[in-house]
Amino acid sequence: MTAVRMRGVTKRYGDFTALDAVSLELRENTIHGLLGRNGAGKTTIMQILTGQNFETAGRVEVFGHHPYENSRVLDRVCFIREAQKYPDGYRVRDALNAAALLFPSWDAGFAAELVGDFALRERQQIKKLSRGQLSAVGVIIGLASRAPLTFFDEPYLGLDAVARQLFYDRLLADYAEHPRTVVLSTHLIDEVSDLIEHVVLIDEGRVLIDEDADVLRGRAVTVTGPTAAVEAFAEGHTELYREELGGFLRVTLAGARPEPRLRSEGLEFEPVSLQQLVVRTTQHTLDDRKVASR
Amino acid sequence: MTTATASDVLATTPARRRRHLASARIHLVNLPLSLGMPWLILGSAFVVNLIIFGMIPMDPGDARTTGGIMSIYIFALIAHILSVTQTFPFALGLSVTRRDFFAGLSLVIAAEAGLQGLVLTVLRAIESATNGWGIDMTFFGVPVLVQENWFLQWVLYTVPFLALSYLAVLAGTVYKRFGQAGMWLAIIGVVLVGGAAAVLLTWSQSWGAVGRFLVETPPLALVAGYPAILAVLFAGLGRLLLRRATP
Repeated sequence: MTAVRMRGVTKRYGDFTALDAVSLELRENTIHGLLGRNGAGKTTIMQILTGQNFETAGRVEVFGHHPYENSRVLDRVCFIREAQKYPDGYRVRDALNAAALLFPSWDAGFAAELVGDFALRERQQIKKLSRGQLSAVGVIIGLASRAPLTFFDEPYLGLDAVARQLFYDRLLADYAEHPRTVVLSTHLIDEVSDLIEHVVLIDEGRVLIDEDADVLRGRAVTVTGPTAAVEAFAEGHTELYREELGGFLRVTLAGARPEPRLRSEGLEFEPVSLQQLVVRTTQHTLDDRKVASR
Repeated sequence: MTTATASDVLATTPARRRRHLASARIHLVNLPLSLGMPWLILGSAFVVNLIIFGMIPMDPGDARTTGGIMSIYIFALIAHILSVTQTFPFALGLSVTRRDFFAGLSLVIAAEAGLQGLVLTVLRAIESATNGWGIDMTFFGVPVLVQENWFLQWVLYTVPFLALSYLAVLAGTVYKRFGQAGMWLAIIGVVLVGGAAAVLLTWSQSWGAVGRFLVETPPLALVAGYPAILAVLFAGLGRLLLRRATP
């Protein structure tokens, strides 16, 4: 079943096009990774899906309805922004109490547990929190809300490696017990590659990849070996990246499969990590555009 | 859309309960601050006035009137600018619709105005019963606006609260909707319109008429009637602009 559907969604600010005919579908009860560079349009997509911002053109559906001013939809949605603002004078407990009032599936016990995990104190003034602690407040609200559709927009800013792992572990454990649709926007792709089941890669307002993570992982391979042998193997495949050193060549190929029998010719095959694939695909598109505009 | 892919989340998961009350409560999570602070300020102004006038010997010809009561109205003005610039982004971040945010804020404003008006009315009653706190001091009564009827006195205290609060909501909304540039433009616009009106009045030699209007209009209309109209106007305009405001 589909939680989110966007069809040809375009967002313009004056003559700047933030989203360019974005079409995507997000399956229910899945953890989605929304990946892309800074300014790619990830936050704009999430703002439109939560009725905070307005599309210029296109069709937007969340649980089958447009989210703008739609409390039936928004009651089931939680959007944790990296830049979430809290009113002056709010303490940690005030933010949690507000969230408890507003999210019908809120789990107060879970929230209290998370406050301990992230070493926060309920009486702390939010204004005086460090960047990492501020992120932790958002993470706690996002997890404990148990909203059927939860967006995390770069929720980890300032969190140390231990706290980030804690977030991933808690998310996965709670997701297993309470399946829901999670959209995780992040730059730390390697860290979440085991977590996300579906990948949407956005670049310059366009969807570059919209694919299940398992399919993606098998879709590219890196080959290293003597230049001639690698060139022969690479022929007919889309080259995402090329490095040459001495007589050796190393290329990342989309759509290629490793062929172990070629080891005798000196070819080495390595799987491509999700992060590499995303980086290479984005660079590849960038190069294509440069060529096209020349 | 085919029914096979239609999501049943809306049918199978709970909805928010008492949504207006819930979004009103966001404004009140820190009650000591939001309700206590204005009275603390007003209270300290009162005590200071009490001490000063208590030390000065009484002079029957000299009216002991203070403007201290204004502070609580100014507090409402500032508080509700912040309600929009700070609490609105927070509320939308927690999936509150603009409609529910406005409804919740209106509940808060109405309750605050009504309650603070009531407390002021009671204090005014004590003031007149004790002959101005025993030292002939008028702190809670505003001379021309004193009503014999306690209900009308309450209306007199309450309506300006409403008007100022919604003026603040409107100002905050203009800021959220059009940014800092829009805010300055609005302020410049108001100054220009005010200036133009003053020029027009001077040119047509109508200041006398304005003075007569202020003197001849019953205080109740001046301080409650017209502000009530303004409150409705500010509220309606604020609600309209909020529809397309982003957090």
